[in-house]
Order: sequence, then C-alpha cells, then structure tokens
Amino acid sequence: MEQKAIYELLAGKIGAAALGFNDEGVESYAEVAPEKIAEAALFLRDEEQLGFNQLMCLSGIDWDGFDENGKGKSVAILGYSADGKPETSDRVGEGDLGVAYSLYSHEKKHKFTMRVRVSRERAVVPTVIDVWSTAGWHEREAWDLLGIRFEGHPDLRRMLLEEDWVGHPLRKDYQMPGQWEQVPLEGKDMTASPFTPTSTPTTGPTPGAEG
Amino acid sequence: MEILTDLIRSWFGPDKMSDQAVFITVASTMATIMFIVMALCALIFTWAERKVAGFIQSRYGPMRTGRWHGWAQAVADMLKILGKEDIIPAEANRFFFSFAPILVLLGSLLAWAAIPWSPGFVSADLDLGLFYIFAVSSLVIVGLLMAGWSSNNKWALYGAARGAAQMISYEIPLALACIPVVMYTGSLNTTDIVIAQQGGMLNWFVFRNPFLFVAFIMYFIASIAETNRGPFDMPETESELVAGYHTEYTGMRFAFFFLSEYANLFLVSLIAAMVFLGGWWAPIPGLDFAPALTFIIKGVLMVLLNMWVRWTLPRVRVDQLMHLCWKVMIPISLICVVGAGIWMMLSGQAGA
Amino acid sequence: MATEETKMNSGWADQDQVPGIKSELMELNMGPQHPATHGVLRLLLETDGEIVYKVTPVLGYLHRCAEKIAEGINYKQWVIYTDRFDYLAPMCCNHAYVTAVEKLMDVEVPERAEHLRVVAAELSRIASHLIALATFGLDMGAWTPLLYCFREREVILDLLERIAGGRMLYNYMVPGGVRYDVPDERWVSDVLEFITMLETKKIKDYNQLLSYNKIFIGRLGNVAVISKQDAFDYGCTGPVLRGSGVKFDCRKDDPYSVYHKFDFDVPVGMGEMGTVGDCWDRYMVRVREIEEACKIVRQALDSLPGGSCQAIELKKPVKVPAGAAYSRTESAKGEMGHYIISDGGQTPFRNKVRSPSFCNLQVIEKVGVGQMVSDLVAFVGSLDIVLGEIDR
Repeated sequence: MEQKAIYELLAGKIGAAALGFNDEGVESYAEVAPEKIAEAALFLRDEEQLGFNQLMCLSGIDWDGFDENGKGKSVAILGYSADGKPETSDRVGEGDLGVAYSLYSHEKKHKFTMRVRVSRERAVVPTVIDVWSTAGWHEREAWDLLGIRFEGHPDLRRMLLEEDWVGHPLRKDYQMPGQWEQVPLEGKDMTASPFTPTSTPTTGPTPGAEG
Repeated sequence: MEILTDLIRSWFGPDKMSDQAVFITVASTMATIMFIVMALCALIFTWAERKVAGFIQSRYGPMRTGRWHGWAQAVADMLKILGKEDIIPAEANRFFFSFAPILVLLGSLLAWAAIPWSPGFVSADLDLGLFYIFAVSSLVIVGLLMAGWSSNNKWALYGAARGAAQMISYEIPLALACIPVVMYTGSLNTTDIVIAQQGGMLNWFVFRNPFLFVAFIMYFIASIAETNRGPFDMPETESELVAGYHTEYTGMRFAFFFLSEYANLFLVSLIAAMVFLGGWWAPIPGLDFAPALTFIIKGVLMVLLNMWVRWTLPRVRVDQLMHLCWKVMIPISLICVVGAGIWMMLSGQAGA
Repeated sequence: MATEETKMNSGWADQDQVPGIKSELMELNMGPQHPATHGVLRLLLETDGEIVYKVTPVLGYLHRCAEKIAEGINYKQWVIYTDRFDYLAPMCCNHAYVTAVEKLMDVEVPERAEHLRVVAAELSRIASHLIALATFGLDMGAWTPLLYCFREREVILDLLERIAGGRMLYNYMVPGGVRYDVPDERWVSDVLEFITMLETKKIKDYNQLLSYNKIFIGRLGNVAVISKQDAFDYGCTGPVLRGSGVKFDCRKDDPYSVYHKFDFDVPVGMGEMGTVGDCWDRYMVRVREIEEACKIVRQALDSLPGGSCQAIELKKPVKVPAGAAYSRTESAKGEMGHYIISDGGQTPFRNKVRSPSFCNLQVIEKVGVGQMVSDLVAFVGSLDIVLGEIDR
C-alpha cells in the first residue's frame, strides 16, 4: 500500500493528532502527536489493510541544533585543557526530542515511518510496548541514552549504562562527567580530526597522578 | 601380598619382627605403591586424553614440552598446579572445604586395594572384594556434596546436587550389571572372579552368554556416568555450571579432584577388565607370560574407549540422564540378572 | 508479578504450604563471566532447583556508545565501528552501513563492487554460522565440532585477509564501493574451491557428527519453542524468525545490493525434530543457510563483471544530503538496520543502529521462563547472539 494512503487511513482514525505527512526526502514519514501514538500504533497493527506486525526500529532523536545546511552542529565538549578538564560550551540544549517508529508488515510487505516530537522540558511519550513487545528494550534504550520517558512502560530502567549513571549521553548538550565513582573518565576530543596532530594533549593527566 | 611378606621377613630375618609390624610395613608399602601408580596413571591419562582429543579433532594436542609429542606437558602442568595459591573463599565452610578433596581422593584410592593385578598380587584379597570396591567408591559422593556445599557458590551447589543424584542412581545399574558375573563365579572375591575366566577369550564373562554381553554394555555406560565424564558430565558441565562442584578450588586441592577423576576412570576400566574381560588372562591360552601387563593393557583400552565416547558425543540433559538410568538401564540390568540365571540353569552351569 | 503467577501455576507455591518449611526462589547470576553466555551477557535468573522462573538480561558490559561517536566523526571513518558490532560477521555489518548511507546519498555503486560486497558478506555469513554451530555444539557438550568448524572458518579468514587486508576487522566497504579489488585471479578460484569443498564434504560431516546425533536432537527438539506470533511480536529476525517457520529474508523480500540477481532458497524451520520454532529448527536453519550462502557466492563470482569498484574517490570525504531513512539488510544474525538522519554535513546528525541480536535476545524474557537451566543454555546458544552488537 502506498505510504500516503496509509497516512490517510491513519488520519481518519486519529483525526487531528495526525500532524502531517512528509514525502520530500528519501523516506516519507508521518508526524503524529505524541499523546495519540499508542492509539495510532494499535490501529496500524490491527487494521486489516495495514497489519504492521513488526516494529523494525524505534529511534530516539535529539533535534537540538538540527539545521538542514549542516551548520548547526552542536557538541557540548569543545576540547580539553592542559590539565585534563573538559572545556564545555555551557550551552543549554534547546529544540525538541523525538522518536521515530519504523514499521513493517510481514503480510502486506509495506513499510511506514511515524515520528513524534516532544519538548525537552516534558519529554514524555506513551509506550507502545503493549502493541509490539520489542519496543520494551528499544524504549529502555531511548530512555537510557536520550532521556525520553515512556509513559506506561513497566520496566523503564537504564539499558546499556550503569543504573546510577547521570545524564543521557546521546543528548547534544550532554557533558561527559570527569569521573564516575572515583574512576576518572578520560575523554577524547571528538571534534578534532584524528589525522592532524594537535599541540594540546587530548587527554590530560589523571587527577591525583602527581601526588 | 605373600611375596612381599616373605621378602620383608627375609630382609629383616625371620624372628626380628612381630606379625603386626610386618603387616603394617607391607600395608604401607602397598599403599604407597598404589598411590604412586594412581598419580602416575592420572599424569599419563591427562596427556593421553589431550592426544586422543587432538587426534579426534584433527589437531595435534601438546607437541612442545619434552620434545617427543609433548610428553612432559602433563608433568609441567602438575608442577604448575602445585605451585598455585591455595584460595579458600571468604564465606566458605573452611573445614568441609579442605576436607572434601581428601575424601574424594580417599574414595577412589581405597577401592584400588582390591584390584587383582596378577595371580597373588592384590593388596587386599577380600572375600567381599567386589562389594568392597562399590562400597568405598561411594565415598566420592560424600566428598562431592561437601565440596559443592561448602564452596558457598551456587554453581558448585548445582554441580554437587546433580553429581550426587547421578552417582547414587548409576551405582545401581553398575552393581546390577556385575551380579550375573557374581552368580557365575559364586564369589565376590576379585581373584576368584578372574580365575573363573581362565582359558581363552571365549571363557571371558563378556562372551559367555548374550545376557552377560548386554550386562557389559550396561556396565560400560554406567561407568561413564559414575566417573562423571561426557556425555554424562553433569557435575561439571563446563558450559552450564562453569566448573561444577570444584569451581572454587585451586592449586593442590583442585589437583586432588583431578587426580581422583582420572584414578576413578582407570579404576572402572580395570574393574571392567577384571569382571568381564578376563582380568589378567590373555585372549589366547598360553600367552599368559605377563599377567599384570595384560591386565593393564585391557584397562588402558577401556580408558581409550571412554575417551573416544567423551570426545564424540554431546552431553545429555540432567533429567534425560535420570530417565536413562531409572527407566532404561535398571530394568535392562535386572532382565540381564534374571536372563543370565535362566541361561545358567538351562546350560547346566548353575552351582558351578 | 509474572513470577508469582508462574509459581502458582506450576504448583511451586505448594511447598510453602508445608508447615515449618519456608522456600524461596534462588537468585542465580549467569554471567557476565559464564561460558554459555557468549560474551559478557549477564542473565539474572530466579530458579527453583533446575527450573527457571524469571530471566532478566542485564546488558551494557560492552557498551561503547558507538552512536555518539558516529555524531563526531565522518561517514567514512565510522565504517570501522560497524566492524566491531558483529565481530563474527563484520562484512555483513559493513554492508548494512554502507547500504544505509548510499540510500541517503542516492549514489550508483558499480556492479563489480556490489558483487564483491555480496561475496564478502556471504563469506562472512558462512563464517558466522560456522561459529554459531561450533559454539552451539560446545554449549551442548560436543567439543569436537568446535574444532572442525573453526578449521573451516580459518580458511574464510584467510580468504578475506587476502582481499581486505585484515583477518577479523576489515573496514572493507566504503560508501560508494569497496576499498580493494580482487587481489588476483587465484583468489576467485580459491574461493570457489573452498565453497565446493564446504558444500560437498564439510556440511555432510557436521550433519553426521552433530545435527542428527540422537542426544543432540533429544536436547533440542521441543525445547524453547518460539511461536510465530512471539517472533513477530518481539521483532525477531534472521534465523530465529525463520526457525519459527516464517519465510522472510531481507535479501529476498526487501532486496538490496544485487541479491535480486541470484537464485537461492530461504530455509525455514519445519519442526522435523519436534515443534516448529524449537532450538533444533533454529540450528538447522543456519546449517542450511550455509549451503545457500555457498550458492550465492558461486553465482556472484561466476558473473563477476569488470570495471571499477569505487563510485567515489577513496580519499574524498562523503557528503550526504539532508534527510532521514531507515535501511535494513540481512546480516548473519538477522535484520541489521540503520536509521540515519543527515543534516547535509560530513557527519551524521543521528545514527541509530538496530542490531538483530538486541531484538532476538529480548524474547528470552518470555520464552526462557519455565525452562530448565540446561535448556536455557541451549536457548541462548540457539539465538546466536553477539554482545558486540547488542551493547554497541
């Protein structure tokens, strides 16, 4: 089925919560209001003509500093000073967070992509774990790395990082802590090209090394 | 035994020593010899196991240490393991933890006393020899449970529980398989059992009648389980239980378990040779010039068979293992006992 | 409280009724250092004796945050990170990533490069499946197949070393083509010779030694059955999905690269030794996939076209127009997907990796319940996970 037709079916179901359809890029996608995402997901799975029984991928996105021209790159850590302290930009993140759902139907052999956007201050999206169980771990991962809270998730713990880690690394304004549980974390300057040698050392001495 | 007694008496003069002193000297000499033989065969079999495994798996196995096919590898490993730190986990029960390896080793060592190596050469010529062997080798189970429980490690506990269940269960078909032979011999004395098989291959118990042949196969399967080797290596199951009951053991204590495993392996193979394969008698009458050597060769062949099985088959699951024992092997062994009895009656051998 | 429910249903709670005896489930840590978890996976089990009542996988011991790194380095530089996802089949991961980038770039890749990619990826797939058979046999206590499979894998590593320069981590494919052409004509004939040997002799050996062994079948038949419904629900892909009887393969159903040109079958589990979707089915799908991969390699090499194998000059940085796309390929473990958002620069704005093992492993939370500890080992082995791509 054509993506546009799928979108129209979906819009017929959730009404104003279907915010728009974009087919300009390589892959078209539908913008859906976050409150209605669980309902939309259930509809997409159970509607006979659609039958999206596989959630291929659920990606959390931080839209902070996104600019179509490739100029708005935002990296929180600018570099490292001589004593190993990270130089940060102090920039507080702005822009929305988002989630993209890539769906596939094994019976009908068609794909569909939905996106939701939530504000940084209230990054809450209803869970779709009741629709596709595979969302369970994907959502935990998105919470872990991007700090998007999935409402109704029965087990929203950190997935890949330690339970007591602070912050969500995939956010664009994330600043790597200098140490974690007394373990110094030696950061590497990711903005510099690895092929040109820099005069300043990328990693400073570890704290307490002189003593 | 008598030879040794005479030797000692002639050394020290006929009247210098009391009978008790002679007995103690002889017994301790025999025990030392047995222990050395056991340690040596464990050493040789670890090397042999690696070479057999290598042969089966299209590789070489140890090749470097000691030049010729890595013969010194086992020695080097043993030296290394003796030099390892002896670690006792903090929360372990220290007494049982240290005592368990000794008990395991004791269980397999004691049983060696009743093995008849050649005519007249048996450490303890007991009337209940076979019974004694099965009785003392059960000590291993106690040691195994102790080791697993006292380690304070859940995997070790699993290994011990599995191992105890398995070994207790498989003692039954193991012993049942030997009963037809005891019926034929009319004696539990190990020397008598061997003597009854004199006169060439066809007089060996394994070929006496079809029921005895089946009993031999039952014995072989049960003996693999009894020595905790693949495909019945439940107490260890490397891929499931890490290392089973000896997960927490290091150095010397681990060496004891290791030693006991190989000693047990050789022991059950020797029993098979003794009970079913004619003991020290050569396959053709008249070739009995080296009885002890014949006996050992038979035992080694059984060990190699055991290794072949281990490196070929995957492992069974613990419930399948128990199913095999209680629902398949014990009934078949019982049928063998009854069948062999009927066969004896019909062929007029009863009461021989 | 799933545990409470399973306790009640299985009669486990009866033991609590015995006066004076209080029983509780035992917590058991399987991993992160455990021989059967294929890496640094940790399974937190709640067991009653041999029966498992709850499985909680704990991940992240191998986490490198490769997705964050992707945002800092350019498209070409990140190829080496894909090598380290599924380190048993790095070519498949290379292929997945470059396919995703090329989808956004809309670049035409030379036929020769596509053929070489297919050959490399299929050889990698064979290597990965050989490891799967080997370690699965090891989990089941069969040591010998391990050595046999590694022997054959060694040949593949040698062949790939000759074309890519590395033995395990190749960094062979780049957006727009492959880094190196075939080293010499002998390489092609050597690959063909190896494929023929594998097809005619070795797979027969494995089947005799392991696949149709009675103990092996007894361990795997009817064990840890993943139903079709569960497989869809948990997003299982690859051999795990096909083991459950679903004839789905990205190479056939969502063709990429030049797979549409080749003739091959998609083996599915048929429940020959028990129920459809049991461990044996998943295992056997892999064995049969080796044969299919051999077919593909032969066809790809027989029809190897001439010409260049790079569409973009190797030293030129890749610029990807703004946009977002999810692209998926069939890696050795299943559907390897990349959701790349580009803002038109030299580095991706967001690169989400959907790794097959990550989704396949999740099903253990449901299917693992009620199994014996030994069966759980078989189950984890039959899922054929690689922690490198789970933790990323």
